[in-house]
Amino acid sequence: MQPAPADASAQDRDIVALLQSGALEAAFQRTLARYQDKVYRLCCTLLRDPTAAEDAAQESLVRIWKAIGSFDGRASLSTWIYAITRNRCLTAIARRRELASMSDAVIEAEAEISAASHRADSADSGTDDDASDTLRELIGLLPERYRRTLMLFYYEDRSVSEVAGMLGMPEGTVKTNLYRARAALTEQLRRRGLDDPRHWLESAG
Amino acid sequence: MNSDGPSDDPMASGDPRAQALDAALARVLVPPALPPGFSARLVAALAREPIDAASRAASRARAQRDQRQWMAELDADYLRLRRRTLGTLIGGAFAAGAAVAVALPWLQALFGPRAMFVLACAGALIGLGIGTASWIGRLRLSNPLERL
Repeated sequence: MQPAPADASAQDRDIVALLQSGALEAAFQRTLARYQDKVYRLCCTLLRDPTAAEDAAQESLVRIWKAIGSFDGRASLSTWIYAITRNRCLTAIARRRELASMSDAVIEAEAEISAASHRADSADSGTDDDASDTLRELIGLLPERYRRTLMLFYYEDRSVSEVAGMLGMPEGTVKTNLYRARAALTEQLRRRGLDDPRHWLESAG
Repeated sequence: MNSDGPSDDPMASGDPRAQALDAALARVLVPPALPPGFSARLVAALAREPIDAASRAASRARAQRDQRQWMAELDADYLRLRRRTLGTLIGGAFAAGAAVAVALPWLQALFGPRAMFVLACAGALIGLGIGTASWIGRLRLSNPLERL
């Protein structure tokens, strides 16, 4: 279970103390141990591409290392880290769009290869069933803000405050997005004739 | 389930459909693990970064801290100066009153009814002297009295 927000900021006090004492390397090592997974998960959610997410996470962490000495404590450490990561992802998305406008054919080909490898990975895992596949597909079709909120909510062990910090939005908005995402999923499952809860429970079992 | 879950969350109502969907979502949305070799690649990327990038950031942070400290000291000095000026003024006023109380009988004996006029002239002369000395200091003019 993730720590409550107050605990999280209390946890970061040791890093902030190290920064204030000028022990940048030690502070960065602790930051890395605590945040590299979360940074990667945020990148995965925002970019929807594991390779791009890995690059973005790495670049974000390098940027954090370069800027950690100038962290002034006006915002919490996690807010600062997530803001750097989000900006890095937005740059990657903008670059991708720019590239797409330059060469749609290349992008389409890449998307096809990526989709094919994804299908191959799914087939290799051999654990997926129809309901899970359908659910995954429906999650992918959700409006972007609902999809991001929903994914991070489950990635971060159902912590609304953590998701709010990662996406830089108020907790109320996270709750609303979650509610609407679940409502949209329920409606889509019903339309596909998969509205029997026993079916979902079986797939979850 | 985290305690800060949404209050309008359908799962909070104990709706079996919502709970089933929640369980299915939890199963499908498994957090992605860091790719193998991520840490090694990150360490390599950090090593490629010019070493002075971090130290430059550190020295900038140190300079900012020093500047903040210096400004705080300056503020404290300014307050101390204002307090000292106020103290000098109040002390000077009391000292002048005491001097007048002591000197007035002697001046009256010496100058008779003109004693008050003499006292006022002496006060004006002292005031002019202090004011002139202050302006000489402020305008950084050479003080002719220093040569004496």
